[in-house]
Amino acid sequence: MNARMNRQGFIALTGATSLAAFLAACGGSSSGDSDAGSSAAAGSGDTSAAAPVGFDPATEPDAPLLVFTWSGYDESPVPDGAPWMWQEYTDGPYGAKSPLKFTFLDDDTQALAKVASGFAADIIHPCGGYIQKWKEAGLIQPLDVALLPDWDGVPESLKAPGLIDGAYYHLPFDVGFTSLTYDADAVDFSKVGGEESWKILLDDRYKGQISLFNGPDEIIEYAALANRGAKDPTELTIEEIAAAKETALLMKQNVRNYWTSQNDTVNDFVNGNILITATWPDGYWKIKTHPKMKDRNIQYMQPIEGRLTWICGLVLSAASKQPGRAMLAMAAANTPAAGAAVTDNYQYASGQKAGVSELITNKELITAFGLDDPALWEPPMAWPQKAVEPYKEFIAAGQEVINA
Amino acid sequence: MAVSAKTPAPPVPKRQRSRREQRNDGGTAVSTYGLLAPMLILLGVLFLAPLYYIFLFSVGLKRFSPTDALASLNGELNSFSTGLWSKLVSVDVTVMLPGLNFNVPVLLIGIFFLVLLVAAVTANRIPEYGNWLVGIAFVLLLAPFLTIPAGNNLLRLLELSSDGDYMRLFFKSVTMAMTSSVTAVLIAIPVAYFLAFCVGKSKYTWLLIVIAPFLTSYLLRVFAWKVILGDQGLINSGLTSIGLIDEPLTFLIYSQFTVIVVLTYAWVPFICLPIFLAFETIDRRLLEAAMDLGATRLQAFRKISLPIIAPGIVAAFLFVFIPSIGEYITPTLVGGTQGTMYGQSLASQFVGGAFNWQFGSVMSLFLLGVVLLLTFATARFLRAGGGGL
Repeated sequence: MNARMNRQGFIALTGATSLAAFLAACGGSSSGDSDAGSSAAAGSGDTSAAAPVGFDPATEPDAPLLVFTWSGYDESPVPDGAPWMWQEYTDGPYGAKSPLKFTFLDDDTQALAKVASGFAADIIHPCGGYIQKWKEAGLIQPLDVALLPDWDGVPESLKAPGLIDGAYYHLPFDVGFTSLTYDADAVDFSKVGGEESWKILLDDRYKGQISLFNGPDEIIEYAALANRGAKDPTELTIEEIAAAKETALLMKQNVRNYWTSQNDTVNDFVNGNILITATWPDGYWKIKTHPKMKDRNIQYMQPIEGRLTWICGLVLSAASKQPGRAMLAMAAANTPAAGAAVTDNYQYASGQKAGVSELITNKELITAFGLDDPALWEPPMAWPQKAVEPYKEFIAAGQEVINA
Repeated sequence: MAVSAKTPAPPVPKRQRSRREQRNDGGTAVSTYGLLAPMLILLGVLFLAPLYYIFLFSVGLKRFSPTDALASLNGELNSFSTGLWSKLVSVDVTVMLPGLNFNVPVLLIGIFFLVLLVAAVTANRIPEYGNWLVGIAFVLLLAPFLTIPAGNNLLRLLELSSDGDYMRLFFKSVTMAMTSSVTAVLIAIPVAYFLAFCVGKSKYTWLLIVIAPFLTSYLLRVFAWKVILGDQGLINSGLTSIGLIDEPLTFLIYSQFTVIVVLTYAWVPFICLPIFLAFETIDRRLLEAAMDLGATRLQAFRKISLPIIAPGIVAAFLFVFIPSIGEYITPTLVGGTQGTMYGQSLASQFVGGAFNWQFGSVMSLFLLGVVLLLTFATARFLRAGGGGL
């Protein structure tokens, strides 16, 4: 009997083991594929009926309701006793039977990939430009808007990105600007026409003092706004994309870094590394209210070309086994109280407009972000980010700028 | 007695080996395989299987997306595409010497480096000039990638660039990784020497102090660097307050320099260990003998210590170089627009809206190929006895 393993034996064993591992991995993943495939197929079966079916929460299984959302949209940010977006659901009849369970996403595309590969979630929280892609991939189903008592409080302009083939797929929940936060004592627009403009990114007096968001699409959109003025930056021809890319490359010479986490750029700003940064409303507010910035004149740019806006909200997974209960949770997030909570905690506007202003505790926010002025949120004052076409060229141009 | 002397002795029957002896003889098949199993399973599940999949994705034999709609969204062609590979590798490489620039195809550069690599690990067999050849091969291998960071510029003799975005980023990453790994090794050698020879009994206390930074999260350490290197950070405000500078030194944060500094800092404690262990294996009597025969400390180090620790140094270099070349998080946090690396570009094929998974697989397979080649070459180099160092 050969007690010691010889070289051939070892190689044979290694081969056999890795083969076994391969087979296990292949088997596992192919079954995963087919699961995801069948659920997607089931989803597209559902979606083929344009009119939503009535969901019945009472007959659905008592299992946790999985919410796949951005960090901060769980239970955490609210001080004791103050209302939060899920309040009405957790206090309701199914709050204990199907408690909400949260998983966090980092990125729209990463979330899409994760759900597509079989990750089970009932409610997902994607943003404007991607709803069409979720629908195309057969991962979401139409909402039963009859189950949303406050649905009429959401303006049509916000509902529009989620209206596909006559059915609503998206409940707008949080809406915000993307614009430049800058120190008005240190930055002047005299070289670019005297008025606030995206062209300030081309002013080489601020070389090395600018930070922008690390999104390939946004990098092209800033440049398109600077190039074309107050025109929709998400609707560009191939030539306009190429021109925007050249402008974005010029901007890059002044840019110090492309940020991936808003907290980083807030820290960079208050620590004096940059003077101008692209932020969302909460980033601007954090900088403005930071103790170190007390004596500085921090402004949120309202450029002549218009700001960008993003619309994020909740969608219902095609694979959800508790669509009725999920709709109840969405109804909770659509209440005026939930809308006021998102403004108070994150300085974003809410998708829900009716009766929200009265509930907002910090009234200062209403004037700071023009929450009572719908015109400020619509073209040509602000351009909602939506699915851009031609998508590949748009993103590739932005990536080439980042990689250059 | 006479009879037995003429005829050959009958073969002595082999004594039956006791069970205990068999057990001690390297163990049974069961225990050998049992000991290996965890490693083999880890290797199979966490390395070979993903590798196999990346390969399939990269040549289009398999796609990740369960549905056609998603596949087209993810840029998965589900067929072999030479276009994706040529986007990465059929580009021109610009070789930049002082006062001279010329273009060559990537393939030629690849073959050139392969020849250098083979020469570096085999030329020591050639009598007389072998060691010189090894030395020249090493210098040529390192020259384009080894730099001296000086402010916003990296000083070097020879630079490789490319008209292809990805190849240019790749050369840049190799340069940054090479510079930080060589710097890290140069810092770690004296530290390891100090630990092994200068501190006597308290060496393990010192070792603990050296590796103490590892007890903190990597992200925290990077953020600490941002506090130190920022425009109003420790260094800039210190230099301003003693009147050395008026304007902050802006290259300290968000530049290639920052990435190199942070990578070097991050790896020095880690590679002190293999070099320290290599120093520990040196027989002190050899050094004493060298001194007795009139060698200086430096000569003793050069002739005795260095050949013994050479494998440790090469291993330490690879420990830093391989993870650094595909770095993602460090350049993201402190690299700014100047310090972008290949790893970030690779990751952006999968996340951040690019939807280009097949090309991402191609990029990762290319990186893996380079790293594997280097690893094999190093293994060969070490087996050949350190290439005659």
